[in-house]
Amino acid sequence: MTLRAAAAARRLASCTRQQSVVLGSQAEAAHLLAPGMAAGSPRAAAAFLHSHATSFGYKQVREEEKSKLVGNVFSSVASSYDVMNDLMSAGLHRLWKDRLVSKLSPFPGMKHLDVAGGTGDVAFRVLDSIKSVSRRAVGGAISDIEEDTHIYVCDINPNMLNVGKKRASERGYNEEKCLSWIQGDAEALSFEDGSMDGYTIAFGIRNVTHIEKALAEAYRVLKRGGRFLCLELSHVDVPLFKQIYDVYSFSVIPAVGELVAGDRQSYQYLVESIRRFPNQENFAQMIQEAGFERVEYENLVGGVVAIHSGLKL
Amino acid sequence: MRRTVTLLSRHAGGGGDGRSIPQALSDVLVCPLSKKPLSGVDSIPSLATAHYCCPRFRPANLAAPVRVLSRSRYCEASGSLVSDAVGVSFPVVDGIPSLVPKDGKFLEDDQGKSEQDSKL
Repeated sequence: MTLRAAAAARRLASCTRQQSVVLGSQAEAAHLLAPGMAAGSPRAAAAFLHSHATSFGYKQVREEEKSKLVGNVFSSVASSYDVMNDLMSAGLHRLWKDRLVSKLSPFPGMKHLDVAGGTGDVAFRVLDSIKSVSRRAVGGAISDIEEDTHIYVCDINPNMLNVGKKRASERGYNEEKCLSWIQGDAEALSFEDGSMDGYTIAFGIRNVTHIEKALAEAYRVLKRGGRFLCLELSHVDVPLFKQIYDVYSFSVIPAVGELVAGDRQSYQYLVESIRRFPNQENFAQMIQEAGFERVEYENLVGGVVAIHSGLKL
Repeated sequence: MRRTVTLLSRHAGGGGDGRSIPQALSDVLVCPLSKKPLSGVDSIPSLATAHYCCPRFRPANLAAPVRVLSRSRYCEASGSLVSDAVGVSFPVVDGIPSLVPKDGKFLEDDQGKSEQDSKL
């Protein structure tokens, strides 16, 4: 296991060293330019997007296949998804999601869309936050505005949605009237233009085949003044911590995945896909290109996760 | 459009609780391909829109516009959401609408059967 980690770390190191060299073929260039690509150049951006659409972690796959492979990963891990999140992040993912929702500033009467939110973590937090806001403001009486509140949870994988629905009823969120579960594709959302006050995607955008389409769809469904928030695993640059994080990612996580979820491959995909995703700056650039303004990001735990936000003005 | 979608969802929910769509949901849902409102008891699908919006659409498949009555009966029978603009229907499974583009089915699959019944 240590040998594998060392090999992975060496591969990463060589990627970083070579990232400034641009070679002839686009495919080679895409592979080398992946996470820390030269900012601003449209060819590099197109090359990155192509490489993201045809990569499944460190493997190369056909664009049409990627969505199915990701689907298989989540169908397989759905039942142990929440337990694994707790184990892998030592419970920290709860705090990260708390932070995401506090940045959203939910308000009563809002229409909120949580994409790739299958098991409902973010949706439940938004609901709780709105309920506590309205209790403070209105002093307990239910107003008309509150009845307009609606949270839509969209996920491409029905197994994840079913787990979410079950959790909702276990926790007593049997308010079918303000929580809806929809199976849909982040790249082709089934919501009207300008219908949402908020859009969140937590640990989901990495798995989308065409990131730019997901961002464009996010822009489309948001109202003017709507807020986009993305919580995603990102890049660590802090020198010693980076090495520790790499060893942890490549040795510990797949092993725990095998032990708890019975699926090493899926967790191998997970850690590889994190490395292949653009770094904080480049992802912020992509969000800006989709039309969002006031784009900024906040690193948590030295960059292990980052919350990117933008406004549709 | 809102009234017609509500009408549809009530019809769709007639058979069992696994198929009904809450109003708040039907108010914002649109076809993921064309972004146009779902179903509709009034309109006839536009061939031009279908051609551009649905990547799997082949003009030969759509012999004639799907009739109004046959569409609403189709929806009642299967409890699905219909996109007129592209002539595609999306299933509703356990109360969860499945609006993933690749899960849509062409309406003309049942067209032959329905057209015999329609009184238009």
